[in-house]
Amino acid sequence: MERVAVVTADLSHHAAGVSMSRLCKSFGEKVALADVTLAIEPGTFLVLLGPSGSGKTTLLRCLAGIERPTSGVIAIDGRDVVGPRAFVPPEKRHLAMVFQDYALWPHLTVRRNVAFPLTSSARTKGDRTARVDDLLERVGIGHLADRFPNQLSGGEQQRVALARALAADVGLILFDEPLSNLDADRREQLRIEIATLTRAAGATAVYITHDQSEAFALADRVGVLNHGRLVQIDTPEAIYRRPADAFVARFTGVAGEFPVALLHECGPDRYEVALPFAPDERIEAVAFERFQPGDAMSLFVRAAGVSLLCANDPKGVHGRILDVAFNGRGYDHVVSVGQGATLSKIFSPTRFERGRAVKVCFDASSSFVMDPTRGM
Amino acid sequence: MTTALSAAPAPAPIPARRRLSLGTVTLWTILALLIIVPVLCFLLLATSPRLFQQGPESFTLKYIGQAFRGATGRGIVNSLWVSTLVSLLAVGLATTMAWLIHRTNVYGRRIWAVLMWLLLLIPTWMMTLGWGDLLQPYGAAAIWGINTKWIYGEFFGPLGIVIVLTTAALPFAYFVVSAGLQGLGSEFEDAARIHGANRWMTIRTVLPIIAPALLSAIAISFAETMSDFGVAFTLGYHSHFPLATYTLFSAISNFPANFSVAAVIAFVLIISTVPPILLQSRVMRRRSFAVLSGRTRVPRRREFRPGARILATGGVAFFFFVALGVPLLGSVAGSFVKNLGIYSTGAVKLTTTYYQQVFNPSIADKSLGAPLLLSNQMGLVVATVTGVLALTLARRLVANAGGWSQRVTDVFLLGSVAVPGVVLGVGYIFFYNLSFITNNVVNLYKTLPLLMLALVASSLPGQTRFMAGPVSQIQPSLSEAARVHGASRFRTWRTTNLPLVSRVLLWGWLLTFTKTIAELAIAQILYPPSQEPASVTIQAYLGNFELGTGTAMTVITLAEMLGVILVALGLYRILTPKGWRRIGWSGLQS
Repeated sequence: MERVAVVTADLSHHAAGVSMSRLCKSFGEKVALADVTLAIEPGTFLVLLGPSGSGKTTLLRCLAGIERPTSGVIAIDGRDVVGPRAFVPPEKRHLAMVFQDYALWPHLTVRRNVAFPLTSSARTKGDRTARVDDLLERVGIGHLADRFPNQLSGGEQQRVALARALAADVGLILFDEPLSNLDADRREQLRIEIATLTRAAGATAVYITHDQSEAFALADRVGVLNHGRLVQIDTPEAIYRRPADAFVARFTGVAGEFPVALLHECGPDRYEVALPFAPDERIEAVAFERFQPGDAMSLFVRAAGVSLLCANDPKGVHGRILDVAFNGRGYDHVVSVGQGATLSKIFSPTRFERGRAVKVCFDASSSFVMDPTRGM
Repeated sequence: MTTALSAAPAPAPIPARRRLSLGTVTLWTILALLIIVPVLCFLLLATSPRLFQQGPESFTLKYIGQAFRGATGRGIVNSLWVSTLVSLLAVGLATTMAWLIHRTNVYGRRIWAVLMWLLLLIPTWMMTLGWGDLLQPYGAAAIWGINTKWIYGEFFGPLGIVIVLTTAALPFAYFVVSAGLQGLGSEFEDAARIHGANRWMTIRTVLPIIAPALLSAIAISFAETMSDFGVAFTLGYHSHFPLATYTLFSAISNFPANFSVAAVIAFVLIISTVPPILLQSRVMRRRSFAVLSGRTRVPRRREFRPGARILATGGVAFFFFVALGVPLLGSVAGSFVKNLGIYSTGAVKLTTTYYQQVFNPSIADKSLGAPLLLSNQMGLVVATVTGVLALTLARRLVANAGGWSQRVTDVFLLGSVAVPGVVLGVGYIFFYNLSFITNNVVNLYKTLPLLMLALVASSLPGQTRFMAGPVSQIQPSLSEAARVHGASRFRTWRTTNLPLVSRVLLWGWLLTFTKTIAELAIAQILYPPSQEPASVTIQAYLGNFELGTGTAMTVITLAEMLGVILVALGLYRILTPKGWRRIGWSGLQS
């Protein structure tokens, strides 16, 4: 049984601000990062979200100093660490990192792994020992201090990696998909620990993941990367409610995407659209740019903006339940709404059986009209 | 607030790290002088002897014709068929042994793994000597009243050559196949069985997964056998069964020396080993052992029933008895037989005279003391220099995976593994004796440094490939984590890399050390006058038909080598932290 991390004290010190300007990185012909510009305020928990190959790992490695960018500038705490005349090696950047594969040194005990960043610090041996013991207790593995990494479970190993990063007592902590190798239960538990302990440490955090729910749960700010470009950076709420393009909308989770014809503008940023599978139905949807009536666009529907009603309800579009799955708090449904169009992950606290006819109701604020080719 | 910044003017590119660093240039200069240039110059003699004032012809093919006629031609043909047969036999036996030791519950698995290392360390000429001492009439077998006349004639011919070379090639094949088998988790077998395959079908299904390992084992066994000099110089010569390495040696040691014919034979030796090694390399690239991921389950051992378990253990023990026990027993027992190999009518008498003669020699100025000390000193230098160079090359090979530097290094190493010691020795004697080199660059001809350089050059390719595997197993993130958490390059290497490769460094060092002490081909060709290494001194006794003294010297040399191994392993155990010794390395563990 793994112990739960206990946050008992503030480890705070100065958090580091980070800025990147027109950062580019190519591997031969392949462009991994293209003109990435961003600034991270001290103390912010920034999550970089993107699919495999979007450049998020490269960006993190450039920030760590493990990778050398092709061009651009990176500054940490106001000091240029990457630039035309500067390249500060990783050990001089005063940061810490939690690796995807944990990167624990197999020949060192848990205690010595965690103490590693402190070895060259000015602390006395007693101070170092006390700090390591304190951190191990915080992450709930104080009883495993004398074990070697291969004697630990995946979750325990990740806690050691987290403790090591916190031990460094630096202003910037990087996280390289630290939860991707863990099972669902441990992910949730460790996610909370990372969020609480990192914030308690008062450090700026840059965390990369391809998991949208993980990003939204952890972040103060989310940056979405696609093909090496930073497509959008904002609060989780803003990303979810006002995705910058079709890619961001898709990647942050849609229940369905359908081609629609725009009928007319019906208010600020709002259009009335005709659904292809229910020509008589008209629904309202949000648009973040101006379109012309008659434009062929796509409707992106968030699962949270769709509700299921009984088939005899006067409102909504006709549909039929294809599948239903219990998720603990209620039921997720897959609904066919005609002409091969389906909506997935439609939540309802009550169960609608497979094959049952239902009505589907769309909330205008969670339905977006967008150009489906943007962000491809 | 976190915000995207507005567009800024395009910044200047960040200077990339210099592609051709001083380190790279230095390293390749060393490699060029060590291996590439001497061997290439020597090979050029095959068709262009005039280039180096070795004949009037600027371009000729006549030496190729000469090399394929008579004894040299027979040597080439013999080497090819013997190497083919030996590699197949060695891989068949090695696969069986690896399966029994790693995948079944035979008794004494740790002992067998250690004995396999011992087999790897004993040079073929020592094995040949042991077999000869045991089997020859009035030899060691006579102590137990065993008549060996009927087999002696057979042993001194292709049969004996194939037996000794098979046992010598087997450890190379065994370690390659073991690496493949150990990572081959039981899920593949389970999946086949669950989906209805019987035992035979399961084997047929699973075996192709380790095909790269098998092919690799065949290639390395073939290359090792082709390039062996110990058996060719002893058993091959005495049984009038010429092998290419010996005919090459003869071509330059006979008067007048014929470097051009020697170069043709060298060329044949190299090009016959390059294709299998290249093929193995290509197959390995496409079907790497990467099937063996971290998710692969720990292999399940086949649980033999008690009777079958004893039988299987007996089979393994019998193999080691034949491969290791017989030659060791032959050598040790032979060294105590009075008048070893000389006709006598009475019962066999035992004596310790030969051991007294080891350091009070019958041949003037040919005590083993100084040569053995010299061999140890050379072993120390050669093993240390080779270790440093091999680790540097292995790190480059792994660090630049996919890059041009890695490809060049890889091709160089593959090619160099195929260069037999005898070719290197002759290449050195030729190249470093060129008047241009001796007058303008450095005069190393007939000096100890030249001998040691050749020994380093001979060990380096194999050592590098030996280390590349374990070095590649070190996740780059371990070093990155150290750097990110404040460690300098040196501290990163010392605290996170060195412990992980310490064991392979130690074994690599011991391997080179022992091989240097017992090395025969290069030593025989390049030893400076009055500075004979141990192997040359011992051969002088054996060549002078003083078998007893030669055998006693061999036993002492072998015992000394084993002593060094035990001391080194003991020191490693005492001096290194516990964590260092926890790091598993498949090649060393049973």
